[in-house]
Amino acid sequence: MHYVIIGNGIAGITAANKLRGRDSSAQISIISYEHDHFFSRTALMYAFCGQLSERCIEPYERDHYDSMKFERMRDKVVRLDADAKKLSLESGNEINYDRLLIASGSLPLMFGWPGVEFEGVGNFVTWQDLKWLKEKSESAKRAVIVGGGLIGIEVAEILLKAGIKVTFLIREDFFWPVALDKTEGLMIVEQMRHHGCDVRLSTEMKQILGADGKVVGVEITGGEKIDTDIVVISIGVTPQTAFLKDSGIEYGERGGIVVNDYLETNIKDIFAAGDCTEVVWFNGVRRPEQLWYTGRDQGEIAGLNMAGDKHEYRRSTFYNSAKLFDTEYTTAGLVNFRLEGEHNWYMREGKTDRTVRIVYLPDQTVAGFNMLGRRWDHRVLVKWIEEKRKLDWVLEHLNEANYDEEFMPPFEIPKELSGVK
Amino acid sequence: MQAGLLRSFQNSSQSRGMTAWFISAMLFAFYILMYFTSVFDPLATALGLGSRWNLYGTLYTLAIIVGGIYFLKRHGNSRYHQLRTYSLIFFQSVMAFSIPMVMEIFDTKGFVFSIFWPLKMDYFYPQNIFEYPVLLIVYAFLSALIGVPIMTILFGKRWYCSWMCGCGGLAETAGEPFRHLSNKSRKAWRFEKVSIYSVLVLAIITTVLVLVNWSLGTHAVSGEWSTEHSTLNLVSSKVQGAYQFIVAAMLSGVLGVGLYPLMGSRVWCRFFCPLAAILGIFQKFGRFRITVKDDMCISCGNCSTYCEMGIDVRAYAQANQSFKRAACVGCGICAHVCPRGVLRLENKWDFKTEPAGLTPQSIDF
Ligand SMILES: Cc1cc2nc3c(=O)[nH]c(=O)nc-3n(C[C@H](O)[C@H](O)[C@H](O)COP(=O)(O)OP(=O)(O)OC[C@H]3O[C@@H](n4cnc5c(N)ncnc54)[C@H](O)[C@@H]3O)c2cc1C
Ligand code: SF4
Ligand code: SF4
Repeated sequence: MHYVIIGNGIAGITAANKLRGRDSSAQISIISYEHDHFFSRTALMYAFCGQLSERCIEPYERDHYDSMKFERMRDKVVRLDADAKKLSLESGNEINYDRLLIASGSLPLMFGWPGVEFEGVGNFVTWQDLKWLKEKSESAKRAVIVGGGLIGIEVAEILLKAGIKVTFLIREDFFWPVALDKTEGLMIVEQMRHHGCDVRLSTEMKQILGADGKVVGVEITGGEKIDTDIVVISIGVTPQTAFLKDSGIEYGERGGIVVNDYLETNIKDIFAAGDCTEVVWFNGVRRPEQLWYTGRDQGEIAGLNMAGDKHEYRRSTFYNSAKLFDTEYTTAGLVNFRLEGEHNWYMREGKTDRTVRIVYLPDQTVAGFNMLGRRWDHRVLVKWIEEKRKLDWVLEHLNEANYDEEFMPPFEIPKELSGVK
Repeated sequence: MQAGLLRSFQNSSQSRGMTAWFISAMLFAFYILMYFTSVFDPLATALGLGSRWNLYGTLYTLAIIVGGIYFLKRHGNSRYHQLRTYSLIFFQSVMAFSIPMVMEIFDTKGFVFSIFWPLKMDYFYPQNIFEYPVLLIVYAFLSALIGVPIMTILFGKRWYCSWMCGCGGLAETAGEPFRHLSNKSRKAWRFEKVSIYSVLVLAIITTVLVLVNWSLGTHAVSGEWSTEHSTLNLVSSKVQGAYQFIVAAMLSGVLGVGLYPLMGSRVWCRFFCPLAAILGIFQKFGRFRITVKDDMCISCGNCSTYCEMGIDVRAYAQANQSFKRAACVGCGICAHVCPRGVLRLENKWDFKTEPAGLTPQSIDF
């Protein structure tokens, strides 16, 4: 049996590991054009600023591929011929498979701004982007970041730390509306400004200005021109599936590969996992899950199913975490879903950036949590949501979900807030 | 981002560059001159410190205080790390430095309440310990044989290794800039398991030999060649001397500190310290563990990188696997630097045992 895996990211490598665990003799090939080793895309920012080395963001030892008997190909798949079970590679080589996993991840979204082709315009998603930004940042004095999401704020943070003046353009009137509400988003904006970041809210980039093919500035809403040496576009990512066109693989609305509960595509013997797929979310909507842990879990299930198992991939209550400059963020359940009749219980600990937001329904049942500043155990929060706990009960027990380092000042709800609003 | 850790890998002195090799060479030279020659005696006398050992103690204490301030600048935004650092500074400057000094002023041999056998072999060597008052003898035996196990079962190794110990104290403070240089490979882990228990066995054999020899009425003086007594006396004295030279001087001092800029700050603690070996065994059966919050790990590697004991914390975190490792000194840095708050140091009894044959890479599958 020859298993071929497109993609050496978390989904691809996890599937390969699982396959090897089930089948010690199968031939397993991994194709990737990006880097020789599996690395943590999520940690690119730390490798950029020297908190970690490039080697540190490779989770496995260098002999992993040999010891697991994986064949590695540093090449790009340009075409899939599903009838002949064959892949064509950029180098001109072809490779046959018995079972295929597509775990090709995502590509940064770009938009056709005038000037987007100038040198100095880029993204921060791939290994190559890391090298590019490192090189650029050595001489650059100013940078403009476009797009107020997670990657944007990470890039803002590392460029500031590298001593570069950063202007951060955010289209909405606060930071990260998908996850935060206005109060929370503005608190983070405040913090970014405190760190010296020039945040422009309700602002879009109109065009990129250049000279001799190089970026010199951008023009923003209202016509103002900002001088810059780098423009980093971080308006989101989209499934990297262009090489599959004409292959007969079914796509969803958002460009991701449609898979069933077993992560099989519409074509027999072809599976898909990770950022490039569209799966059914906890709320019944089909769309990509562009997260590290979902990539790992999908890779795990896909690997086992390729080996002949029948495991279902199902997510229940949503949860995630992030770090926004110095502020840690934990979320669980349905936050920012505008549920019918929902209320939000909100508190901020004094002037700190520690906040708690609890979304609850008219009958007081708690539906979601958005927590900033402290560490929270999402496992407990999720359990409460699934147990349909009422707000009063949750407020009384909230401390049990605290996950701060030992000896941190204990979490307390001020007396005047402890009643339900 | 952890402000203080920025550029750890861009800085020659912190990433095994030329400067690091130079600092390492200086440390080696310093330790060899200090331990095996008397070049520092005149300086010690000039400073009114009496012997070069007092000079060494003074420098050591200063290094912990200055390094402690540096550590707090990096990680002082956490109460755990504040308290831990104050504790280390207290135990070094008061218990390990001042109290023995004061005792000597009163003509008693200095005694350090915060060092136990077998880190301090002297406290079980009859010819040394019986020079102390009875209460101190009782303390030395009870603390090592009963206190250490109980404390470790309740709180893990950390109560000692990263709250009290002088070697650990230096590592956590002056060694802080180098903590990320510990070797994370499986090879190093395998070596650690052999080396640390070998030293423990050596320490036990040495102690037993000396005790037996003493109880038979012959007295071996550390390191001295003596042909007048029985073979046992000869062997015992030779073994005691060898242990003193190899383990106490070379491994804990010269190599242990000399290698800071090249192999991280815990070379001695991780590979050789016999007390750490004992603590590690009790830790495995005790309450302390590092809890991993499911699914939140992004495999960034900050935890593994900054673990001074070379534990591949990320491998456990990525596999949603809470863990107990004999080597872990409970410094808490992995939890502190984790950008997703995945890890938490906890003392609880309800630990689920790990699957058999756990190795840092295979736990993934
Ligand atoms: C800067 C940044 C920060 C992030 N932070 C977080 C975070 O904090 N938390 C979180 O949950 N998620 C985060 N993410 C998202 C997370 O990294 C992704 O969800 C995850 O990496 C997806 O893994 P994957 O295996 O599906 O794909 P990828 O990691 O994208 O891997 C795709 C692989 O496919 C290969 N490939 C693609 N096309 C081809 C082809 N045609 N031929 C050959 N090989 C091909 C590539 O070479 C690559 O090896 C972040 C992403 C970025 C960019
Ligand atoms: S595992 Fe964590 S607490 Fe234990 S020694 Fe390593 S960094 Fe310190
Ligand atoms: S546990 Fe935390 S620090 Fe360690 S790899 Fe995971 S996210 Fe990074």
